[in-house]
Amino acid sequence: MVTDNLRQAPWDWRLSALICAALVAVGIALQWAVGPVVWAVFAWPVNIICMAALLAALLLMHLLRRKVRLFSYLSSLPAALPAIATALVLTMVMGLTRQTADGHWLSDMLCFWPFVLAYVYVTLIVGLTTLRRLSKIASLLAGPNRSLRIADIAFVLNHAGLFLALTCATLGNPDLQRLKMITTLGAFEWRGVDDSGLLHNLPVAIELKRFIMESYDDGSPRRFASDIHVRTKRGKDFEATVDVNHPVEVDGWKIYQYSYDTKAGADSRISIFELVRDPWLPYAYAGIIMMLAGALFMLFGNGRKEVKES
Amino acid sequence: MIWDYFTLVAIIAIAHWALGALAAWKGKTRTTIVATAIGLAIFFAFIIAMWVTLERPPLRTMGETRLWYSFFLPLAGLLVYARKRYKWILSFTTVLATVFICVNIFKPEIHSKALMPALQSPWFAPHVIVYMMAYAILGAATLMAVYYLAKSYRKVQGVPEAKTYDAAINSEASIEPSRKAAGFTLDSEASAELDGIVRAGLAFLTFGMLFGALWAKEAWGHYWSWDPKETWAAVTWLGYLLFIHYRRLPRHNTRLALWLLIAAFILLQMCWWGINYLPSAQGTSVHTYG
Repeated sequence: MVTDNLRQAPWDWRLSALICAALVAVGIALQWAVGPVVWAVFAWPVNIICMAALLAALLLMHLLRRKVRLFSYLSSLPAALPAIATALVLTMVMGLTRQTADGHWLSDMLCFWPFVLAYVYVTLIVGLTTLRRLSKIASLLAGPNRSLRIADIAFVLNHAGLFLALTCATLGNPDLQRLKMITTLGAFEWRGVDDSGLLHNLPVAIELKRFIMESYDDGSPRRFASDIHVRTKRGKDFEATVDVNHPVEVDGWKIYQYSYDTKAGADSRISIFELVRDPWLPYAYAGIIMMLAGALFMLFGNGRKEVKES
Repeated sequence: MIWDYFTLVAIIAIAHWALGALAAWKGKTRTTIVATAIGLAIFFAFIIAMWVTLERPPLRTMGETRLWYSFFLPLAGLLVYARKRYKWILSFTTVLATVFICVNIFKPEIHSKALMPALQSPWFAPHVIVYMMAYAILGAATLMAVYYLAKSYRKVQGVPEAKTYDAAINSEASIEPSRKAAGFTLDSEASAELDGIVRAGLAFLTFGMLFGALWAKEAWGHYWSWDPKETWAAVTWLGYLLFIHYRRLPRHNTRLALWLLIAAFILLQMCWWGINYLPSAQGTSVHTYG
């Protein structure tokens, strides 16, 4: 019966379109008043608090959905459509504008308030939709038929997976560390440079044993790699080879072959690595894997049955 | 070199596909399926031969991806035909595949053995092949949309179709005059078929995008960097999401849905090759391999 209400004006897609327009307007005002979104603010532990607050808020909205019509509306199809369309249009603008990470309106979409708010709105809808479908599945399982349909599994995997991937990728990003380390033959290096040029001491030290460069007959590069000796603060000590596409993993860090002395070529006496640490990666990957499984189910399930609800 | 035989192989394959398309019009199902399948086998054998002689998967250049696209188009057409028996679908896919083959004959962009280190990954083949499959399926869906739209505008004054899927699911529709004026709906079978095809295409699109993300982590250190190609992949994905969600709305405008499908395919072109010509993407994409 909830869906019956939803089909009536003004609870059709127009309300959500209005919300989207308001979000874009508020976003523009914010951008003008306080400047671009400063993602660094969300560094640990702010991000985990935000995640907990978001989940709590979603759960509360879900539980109150019969009392507050807006909350049940937000998990409906008419609400989803303008949200998807708005995210699409803003992402398209991003695709049409050269991105420079200078914090300047359209040329730095990731910090542009309307873009961020639109995706927050999408995330909210996806989260509520997941909860609603989960509670429907629970009631079906408790019912006389005890049936679980492929379409429902696919639905939850797709939506929960997207929710997890979106939230963890975004909230986890301020915790992502990417540093360049320049190593020279025969010497241990434990310092890395971040994007802003600051030097950091790292818990991982690398000694370059040998730089490897192979070429095709026409001179185009075939392989860059480095034989390295790794030591970590936690006491790991081993030798390995880092190839492009084949990073070496140690203590939560991934070591990537990044560059070398391009003037010296095969005789390069230095090798540059990128060291990446992303504590939120397993959770974002869980989301990605759920979406992959959902896509697999989507290939085989009959989605048509999903239309009828409650 | 194997490429010297391409024109010959392509002509033989196209002849089989054309024979299949012709047989479809005449209602000879078995001939249709067998001829198209033989054409596909011949073309696929050539791709494998290239793979072997190049000593790498032929997936690097635009020319090489066109090769796969020419293969997957008749394959998608055949799958649709096998389930639905559209007489026209194989003619469309054959013509399109032929266009792509001709582009490859006149502008090969192929094929040194060189495969730069960034592309030497087990993710390379699945990422690109799955995407080409998605593009082909969604191409077929777009053709269907164009076909239905043309049909809808042709009989714009026509008799209202009596028992449509959309009318059945929403009883209000049948008593609402304005909706009848808007007029056009697909019959339930066509409707389910179109949605099924788009869902399959979207599933492959999702595989392609997420395989790309997993690969990016191994190659570039992060699974999503908003590289122009990634941005447009997201836009394309959102476009098809919008379509399948809109199609679930009980009272939707079928014609608008079909236009959405066409628009999404235009976004897909942007993602596939359009960004090569887009000023905002010049020199910033790591997805350029010549």
